[in-house]
Amino acid sequence: MMILKLAWRNLWRNKRRTLITSSAVFFAAFLSIAMNSIQDGMHQQMIQNVVGYYSGYVQIHQDGYWDEQTIDNTFTAEEQVQKVANDHPSVERSVPRLESFALAIAEDVSRPAMVVGVDPRLEDEFTKLQAKLVQGNYFAANGQEVIVAQGLLEKLKIGLGDTIILLGQGYHGVTAAGKYPITGVMKLGSPELNARLVYLPLQAAQEMYGAPELLTSLALDINTPDKSAQVAQTLQEDLPEGYEVMDWKSMMPELVQVLEADKGGNVILLGILYLVVGFGIFGTVLMMTAERKYEFGVLIGIGMKKIKLAATVLLETIFISLLGVLAGSIFAFPLVYFFHYSPVYLEGLKEAYEQYGFEPVLMTSIDLGIFVNQAIIVLVISCLMSIYPAIRIMKIDPVKAMHV
Amino acid sequence: MLLMILGSASAQDAASIIQKAEEVRRGIESSQSEMTMTIVRPKWTRTMSMKSWSKGDDFALIVVTAPAAEEGSATLKRSDEVWSYIPKVGRTIKLSRSMMSQNWMGSDLTNDDLVREVSLITDYDHKILKDSTIEGRKCWKIELIPHEDVAVVWGKVHMFVDQKDYLQMRTESFDEDGYLVNVMQASQIKSVNGRAYTAKMEIIPVEEDGNKTILEYTSLKFDVPLDETFFSVQNLKRIR
Repeated sequence: MMILKLAWRNLWRNKRRTLITSSAVFFAAFLSIAMNSIQDGMHQQMIQNVVGYYSGYVQIHQDGYWDEQTIDNTFTAEEQVQKVANDHPSVERSVPRLESFALAIAEDVSRPAMVVGVDPRLEDEFTKLQAKLVQGNYFAANGQEVIVAQGLLEKLKIGLGDTIILLGQGYHGVTAAGKYPITGVMKLGSPELNARLVYLPLQAAQEMYGAPELLTSLALDINTPDKSAQVAQTLQEDLPEGYEVMDWKSMMPELVQVLEADKGGNVILLGILYLVVGFGIFGTVLMMTAERKYEFGVLIGIGMKKIKLAATVLLETIFISLLGVLAGSIFAFPLVYFFHYSPVYLEGLKEAYEQYGFEPVLMTSIDLGIFVNQAIIVLVISCLMSIYPAIRIMKIDPVKAMHV
Repeated sequence: MLLMILGSASAQDAASIIQKAEEVRRGIESSQSEMTMTIVRPKWTRTMSMKSWSKGDDFALIVVTAPAAEEGSATLKRSDEVWSYIPKVGRTIKLSRSMMSQNWMGSDLTNDDLVREVSLITDYDHKILKDSTIEGRKCWKIELIPHEDVAVVWGKVHMFVDQKDYLQMRTESFDEDGYLVNVMQASQIKSVNGRAYTAKMEIIPVEEDGNKTILEYTSLKFDVPLDETFFSVQNLKRIR
């Protein structure tokens, strides 16, 4: 207890030294929290854009569909399947879809498109499709109209109210063709999806592809996205033969890879940051030890145990680090909080980000785990650095030390 | 020396055999036919009936007559262009470069196969390999290797040409690594106006198990008088 008091008083004996050392820790904590939060925020956003707003975290298909994604690998969504899915406690709703490729044709231009037949009501409840409209109206279940992504329309050089022709191959080789008025224009976060997606009411899509009652997938809206893999596995066991249940990580390994690669790059950056911070702290600790050599000598000379002195110095560094980490977290919080609720659109970096499929938006994550993790890491680094003065103290010869 | 002379002589022969075979295939002047196309897939098969007209190597018109859902779908070939008419949307579409490699009417033929811009005669080197027998007919087996600057997907083609009527009995197409990718197998030799033709053709993509496309002529006429204006985009919509 005395050591604690001593360490605390030592801190404020030389305020400037304490402030300089703790500001090094402060910047380290602040920067690593900000960096992690931005990275995590962008990743969450990307997952949300692709998985949350489109594919869903878990999907049910006919067995073998994912390896060979053709309209021939469709299934009829029997009530039994829907029931098994809907009865799972994590599943909020199951959303039927018929997805396939088609050529989208305007007057003179044609572009490859991804056609998605959806149940208008369920799809809106799940992916908030209606909220993504930037122009026009939503469609009805029995409508013969389409909602087209903005990027695709720009390439086709047509807009709201114009007619789009879809041409592709339907069920068992029939020609799938249809002509639809564009009732709505939507903007999608993922640049790739924004350049390809065409939404059609499920019935109209089934008609066009000559696949009445057939679905390519049943996307599941689940309330435990972190447990996607477990949910997929239980459902697979509960369902009869002939179906495959997949979570988003197995459906989109590329997305997982992009995220991993990005994280890997950041690990290096973070490593450098930690290194710089570590040496910064070490520098101040080194100076402090040299500065107080005489003081240490006197203390040991008058009979203080070396181990106790070392403990005091160790405690001092822990206090300084704690101070810095706390201040860093407190300062980082409003910044992170602000950018979480008002993300910044990075116009200048648009192309670079879109190449990787990221939306060029700077958005932070306010996951408490980031704060805790980064604070602990910085704290550990600075405590490691304080081992040096402890070792010096253990080796100190009071006569030599006082002989200045 | 003697070997060299022999070698060049047989090369000459191979080229002229191919040339003759191509003339026979085309029907020299023009043709009119009715045929069925059966698409075979592991889990389903589908048959379509169609009528076709052709003039020389540059013009062809094919229109679907059954099933009802596809009736009136038509494809027009004018030299290296392909046009498609889709009655469901009432539109005629000129196929773009990227669409040329897609399959035609869901079959194992691609749009490129219809156009066949590359000449078997001038764009390939020919060599007779050996004689073999197919469907009871003696055939030359001829190896065709495309010239380097020619845009073809094949590394080499083996063509079996009937020695009597110059019919193309079998064509094996290999990719650039030498793997067999595609087989065209003809059978049922018939004749009309004293001219022989193969009434049945199977197109087999070797790597896709259980897939093939069967083309069968139900009637065929050669040397039908057809005007070039018959092969127009306007006529594509009208033809039944």
